[in-house]
Amino acid sequence: MTAVPITEAVAVDGWRWHDRVAGLLDDGLRFVSLSGTPDGDVRCVLADPERTVVLTTAPAGGRVASIIDIVGAAGWDEREIHDRTGIGFEGHEPLRPLLRHPSATSDWTTPVAGADVHDVAVGPTHAGIIESGHFRFHVVGERILLLDPQLFYKHRGLEAAAAGASPELALRLAQRACAACAVTNTVAVAQAIEDARGAMPDAELRRARTLLLELERLYNHVNDIGAVCAGIGFAMGNMAFAELKERAQRLNATLTGHRFLFGTVAVGTSELEIDAAAAAGARTTVAGIGADAAALWADVHRNRTARTRFRGAGTLAHADALALGACGPAGRASGIDDDARVASPRLWYDGFAAARPEAPTGDVAARIGLRVLEIVACCAIIDDLVSAPITPGRVRGGNVDVGTGVGVVESPRGRTAAIVDVHAGTITGMHLRTGSYANWPALAAACTGAILPDFPLINKSFELCYACVDR
Amino acid sequence: MFVLFRHLAGVRRAAGLRRGAPLSAAIRHVDAGSCNGCEHELGACLGPMYDLQRFGLAISASPRHADILLVTGPVTTRMRPALLAAYQAMPEPRLVAALGDCALGCGLLGDPSEVAGPLEEILPVAVRIPGCPPTPEDIARCLLDGLDGTLQTATPGA
Repeated sequence: MTAVPITEAVAVDGWRWHDRVAGLLDDGLRFVSLSGTPDGDVRCVLADPERTVVLTTAPAGGRVASIIDIVGAAGWDEREIHDRTGIGFEGHEPLRPLLRHPSATSDWTTPVAGADVHDVAVGPTHAGIIESGHFRFHVVGERILLLDPQLFYKHRGLEAAAAGASPELALRLAQRACAACAVTNTVAVAQAIEDARGAMPDAELRRARTLLLELERLYNHVNDIGAVCAGIGFAMGNMAFAELKERAQRLNATLTGHRFLFGTVAVGTSELEIDAAAAAGARTTVAGIGADAAALWADVHRNRTARTRFRGAGTLAHADALALGACGPAGRASGIDDDARVASPRLWYDGFAAARPEAPTGDVAARIGLRVLEIVACCAIIDDLVSAPITPGRVRGGNVDVGTGVGVVESPRGRTAAIVDVHAGTITGMHLRTGSYANWPALAAACTGAILPDFPLINKSFELCYACVDR
Repeated sequence: MFVLFRHLAGVRRAAGLRRGAPLSAAIRHVDAGSCNGCEHELGACLGPMYDLQRFGLAISASPRHADILLVTGPVTTRMRPALLAAYQAMPEPRLVAALGDCALGCGLLGDPSEVAGPLEEILPVAVRIPGCPPTPEDIARCLLDGLDGTLQTATPGA
């Protein structure tokens, strides 16, 4: 049994803010999230496998020192905090709007000038069944110089609605953020609430949640491979993987009663039960999906057109991935050896090792190839978990009344972190920083130098959610 | 592509889908703030296991070619203008369908100041598809049932 991780809360004076963050990074901790607190302060969460540190500072004169020079990944976070609270970040210039939608395009886009440079505006509504969001491509001919994404068209204020809610309602709001990451987001929030209360899940609860997370990953990963095929207009690949996704979702419904596993995660408890007969059926189905995914992918890959389109498209260089905090399959495909599952004492991933691509080329081929590898691991984890019956679980401990907790979960798209403030049975603050949120700046960077017609393909190879960014 | 071809042929045989009464309608989908669940299930409708196209229903890339506006999500204040623009771009006669509990105003919607919906208060809804999210069968059945009745009564001189 792994030791209970420790969450330390540290209040920092404004003038030491930047140095304290830098010091913890030097100690080997990694950036987890940056957000506003219910009290109007700014807080930065950093963690390593042994401990989580929550640094908090009060803005002086409405300003806090920016940390983007040492944490490039915090760029969007600082812009969002500024839009939500008006807090300024010293050294982050220009602090362009992210959540706010100004009427003048020049107020939020990067200034681009030169001969034959023009803008291509796409969205917020798109030509297919796609989530809403706006893209502003700065192009010369068909070559993309720069992409400015403008999301938050789907902003529903879910975090604001969670303030003052019961833990159960907060969890339902987190589930509503995104269907494709529903388990990830709810497990992260449940873990954060349990962390705040000083509770630790027992073995049954950890196994149940891990199973749900891997079921979620399985249907997402096969969906994403199909989506990449759609990105090059390869209908047969798209349809074949759509069928695998359908099989995975029907398995979800058989095991839990819901195709997206809604309603399966609760705070402090799990009611999920899978008996020997259901487990045997699940093992057969998962083995079939795994075998078919491998065979069908091999056939897609035999197609020279498909290979040529995937290779070298939308390359995210290792240095850019590192600087922008890319994570999940996108980060790993660019050689970032990181997976939150490696150190997840609140889940059941003992002995887990992150998938490594054959060549971390950072292109569409690497991102899709990595998912193919992860499907194999995912099927093995599910098979292992249901080899013994899944029974109800609960937490041990949990008598702390007031506190702040952090939950970190590897979603199909990357690291998802939840920070929750609990006060006498009520949630006073909730913040979700999803794997999609972490990777959007990296997606924009990967488009630089690509041709505009490759954007759907590059976009699908990341397959980031808009819903759990917008919240 | 032999493996893909053989696999898909097998899927088609196993699904045993019948040909339906032929309609002909183009659907324009607008995500007005959904969690993406309705989009996943609508996408599944067009896949090999449900194949909504066999009834003559297809997704249109532009509202200008569409008969039906299929809307998901609670209608956020930020999506309201784009939703109205899509509706106004459609030729008449046109129908609005609400896909999912959020669009129907009975879901868990978030901060009231960020939500302009439900859809019913913004556009005239003719077809309702409840569920969170509705399954692909639900979507297909509601669309076909709803359109069958609505098209008959809405068509002038029919």
